[in-house]
Amino acid sequence: MSFTLPRRAALAGAAAITGFPRLGFTQPRQPIKVGVPTILSGRVAQLGISSRNAMQIEVDRFNAEGGLDGRPIELVVRDSRGTPAEAARLAREMISSDGCEFLLDAEASSGGFAVHEVVRETGTLTLHVNSETSSLTADPRQRFWNAFRVARQGIHDSIAGGDYASKVARARNLRRWMTVAPDYAYGRDTTAEFVEYLKHFHSEVQVVGDTWPRLFQPDYTENITRLSQGRPQAIYSCLWAGDLVTFVEQASLFGLFANSAFFAVNMADYTTLQQIRNLPRGVHSGNRYLKNFPNVPGNLDFATEYNRRFNTFPTNWSWQAATAVRLLGKAMRDAGGTTPRAVAAKLAGMRIESPFGADGHVTMRAEDQTLVGYAIGWGVTIPADPFIENMQPSNWADIFRLEAEWKRGKGWN
Amino acid sequence: MELTELAECVTSLSCLVTQSAAGLTIGMLLFLVASGLTLIFGVLGLVNFAHGSFYMMGAYFALAAYGVTESFAAAVLAGIVGAALLGLAFERFLLSRIYGQDVLMQLLVCYGIILILDDVVKIIWGADFRSMGVPDSLRQPPFIIGGGVVPYFYAILFAITAVIAAVLAFGMGRTRFGRIVRAAAINPGMVGALGINTTLVYASVFAIGAGLAGAAGALSAPIRSVVAGAGVSILIESFIVTVIGGMGSIGGALAASLILGFTRSFGSIGFPLFVEGAMFIIMALVLILRPSGLGGRRGS
Amino acid sequence: MGRDILLAGMILAGFLGLEFTGLGSSGLLDFAIRFAIFGLLAMSLNLLIGTTGLVSFGHAAYFGMGAYSFGLLMQSGGWSIPAAIAVAILATALLALVVGALCVRLSEIYFAFLTLAFQMLLHSLILSWIGLTGGDQGLMGGIPKPGFWGIELAKPAHLAGFGMFCLLLSVVLLRQIIRSPFGAALRMLRDNPDRAGFLGLSVYRYRLAAFVIAGAFAGLSGVLMSLYVSGAFPTFAFWTTSGEAIFMIMLGGIQVFLGPLVGTAIFLLLNDWITALTEHHGLFMGTILLIITLGLRKGLLDFVMEWRAARRRAAP
Repeated sequence: MSFTLPRRAALAGAAAITGFPRLGFTQPRQPIKVGVPTILSGRVAQLGISSRNAMQIEVDRFNAEGGLDGRPIELVVRDSRGTPAEAARLAREMISSDGCEFLLDAEASSGGFAVHEVVRETGTLTLHVNSETSSLTADPRQRFWNAFRVARQGIHDSIAGGDYASKVARARNLRRWMTVAPDYAYGRDTTAEFVEYLKHFHSEVQVVGDTWPRLFQPDYTENITRLSQGRPQAIYSCLWAGDLVTFVEQASLFGLFANSAFFAVNMADYTTLQQIRNLPRGVHSGNRYLKNFPNVPGNLDFATEYNRRFNTFPTNWSWQAATAVRLLGKAMRDAGGTTPRAVAAKLAGMRIESPFGADGHVTMRAEDQTLVGYAIGWGVTIPADPFIENMQPSNWADIFRLEAEWKRGKGWN
Repeated sequence: MELTELAECVTSLSCLVTQSAAGLTIGMLLFLVASGLTLIFGVLGLVNFAHGSFYMMGAYFALAAYGVTESFAAAVLAGIVGAALLGLAFERFLLSRIYGQDVLMQLLVCYGIILILDDVVKIIWGADFRSMGVPDSLRQPPFIIGGGVVPYFYAILFAITAVIAAVLAFGMGRTRFGRIVRAAAINPGMVGALGINTTLVYASVFAIGAGLAGAAGALSAPIRSVVAGAGVSILIESFIVTVIGGMGSIGGALAASLILGFTRSFGSIGFPLFVEGAMFIIMALVLILRPSGLGGRRGS
Repeated sequence: MGRDILLAGMILAGFLGLEFTGLGSSGLLDFAIRFAIFGLLAMSLNLLIGTTGLVSFGHAAYFGMGAYSFGLLMQSGGWSIPAAIAVAILATALLALVVGALCVRLSEIYFAFLTLAFQMLLHSLILSWIGLTGGDQGLMGGIPKPGFWGIELAKPAHLAGFGMFCLLLSVVLLRQIIRSPFGAALRMLRDNPDRAGFLGLSVYRYRLAAFVIAGAFAGLSGVLMSLYVSGAFPTFAFWTTSGEAIFMIMLGGIQVFLGPLVGTAIFLLLNDWITALTEHHGLFMGTILLIITLGLRKGLLDFVMEWRAARRRAAP
């Protein structure tokens, strides 16, 4: 079956306008184009850069193995500069003008929602790789057949964190808590959920105060002095990256960590860990990405390869992006092609071996099309490599049970 | 609103000392940046929308110098001189072409500069945030004054910024150069007619203004992250300061900076969720009630 | 004035033609709707900057207000699109009235700063009122687009057509406004406010009226934007959006009626090409901006008109 060029273009144009997914009129060994709208500039440029790097490693491996029947994956990466409207435009452009059959959406949360709406209309198979906001997949109104999330979720991290923190709180009698978190949706939701689960596991905990700096606020002096006035026994923070570094540096000057235990869910990220000059000992941290947790060869190999190519270490966004490529690649091979419905059917419920999995595997849960079973754990900081020790892996059975309750509570069954 | 907490704080010596010290330090750093901005406006009639970029470049130059020399003094010097030279280059090659043109032109040229510098910084230093870290020699335990905590490094910062402010005041008030600069602000034509090289005056004023912003960037590099786009929030705050203090008035800038510093530090206790909004409301009120600001000339 | 419209139209068509090369037909639709949105925003701002001489730094506030009002109305259910658009424009005009009443008394730079302050206040409000606006995530869940008068805005082709229709209608209305005695008064206020005052014109009332009209049109462009992205985001009311609108006006020309539209086309073209070709968006955009502002010193159409006028004078 061969179509003349103008007719093919007209059909493709008609298909695109009416919103149907593009049918596979491509010749064999034509690359499979995958669009990657992401953020490559501004404060969170590292999000896009580390995602793209990891995708590139996995895509190169996939292609070296022969691709999909000889068809290699080709990534089309564009910078939305963090503007959701631009993310939407890029997504549409990739789908219609660039002929991308799939999207690996590496936007942050707000851009992710914008792209989500675009692909709801176009029916393009999309894997969101960086959006951690639970409602993206937990809320049934947001769910449709062609959107999946391959990223950790706020609710999972909060349950795990609350559980770990409650154990420490019990052991060391930490009852007075305060929180410091950035004043935007992620900061507010994550902190609220952490506190909820901390109290669930250890009801005698009291949060005596909170402070909410602006995202990317350059100076935390007033927040730190407020914290020290409250004299808490423990402090929780979901500040991340540059903000966390600044906060820790400034707080050390005030001697804040001498008097309060510090629980920073986003500390365990190499970019952050390497930038803090005098990392306080004994800070409790969740795991964003650590090359030795899980302590399996596959994880260490991934970090070594990434470091060899890019002279830096992977981030949380990297392992998520890599996992997305592996899932997509396997789904395409299992489906024997790139027909979106078929690939989506294979993705839902898929379980693959993964060096980032809690038990050596990760699963794309069919019911809400989101990733589960990835390694979550908390440990304490030490001043030198590997920076975190005593990692306590979290129990997914507990997480599933409490997550289900949480969804019921929100009416999201 | 947590006014009871605020009242408790004001009546407790330790809280008062801690928050006041914080307010002073925040205010003085802000003053460094804002004084440069208001000086440039007062003398050159230019609203330097790119001022935040000189703050950012000061921080990056300091970071680079510290990486090589491990000396804080060298880092600060590099920040000041580097930002001043950069400012000089921009003034001579780009900004001097739009003197006297309307504010729209100034905005656009500065916007272009911001876009370019943000990318240049990304290309040279990478997109990641960087942190200089407080130098070990300055990492001493905090002072405890009346039960309040005053970090050692903050005391150093305050001392340095106070010295710079004093030098600025002396330079503007007592030296010949300062008198020329103040005259040029009022009547550039006359200054030129008197045989003084106004081009030189303009260039040096811009360089000084940029250097002040660079100094603030370099001084805060140890405690804040250095990243492309770091100049934006400092720019907005220094505009608020300049409006409240009066455009062109250095004394007004000092008063306004301290007001803002204290609003931040005590505000985070009394009305924590509204500190941002409070600053914009003060700015709006000043513009509505007394547009020339605290120290500005009426009707300017 | 007819010939300048023709010339502007030709230049506009030229740029649009450049953009369309290499675009699939749905890329065309995408471009059309974006052109309608930003073109309308730029034209509305030029009523203030070009015609009235008021440089506003905070125009994006009305863009954001229009987008959020419309989005919230549609999400609440039970509103038809035309009704929701009307109410959104009304709400935006009301906001412009309140803010304008405080701002237009001030002169140049202070006016600019106060409009900016109010815009940032609105932006802060949008960010903190998470319950209503979704905060930094924006309005989530999409916007229902029920059909009306045989138009289905859920279809990209219909949306593009509707957007262009709104743009056209607004351009015609703006032209009428500018050519009316009201417009003439605005121009007099721009060039010689004292004279206008001596003639008994209330400077305040005319400026306020211009501010409200400009805000209302910006609100309409915000409505179109929320339809396009099926939501609303805080960046709509951020100073960068105001800056882009000013950039577009500058590119095309302040003094020529269709200047902002030409500027919009150029801006979108540049944006799309640079994003597709390189990561260093800031470097290229910034350099181009400098070349235009320092080299041409005026918008493209202003430059062309002045060149033509100079040639006419030079000819014997």
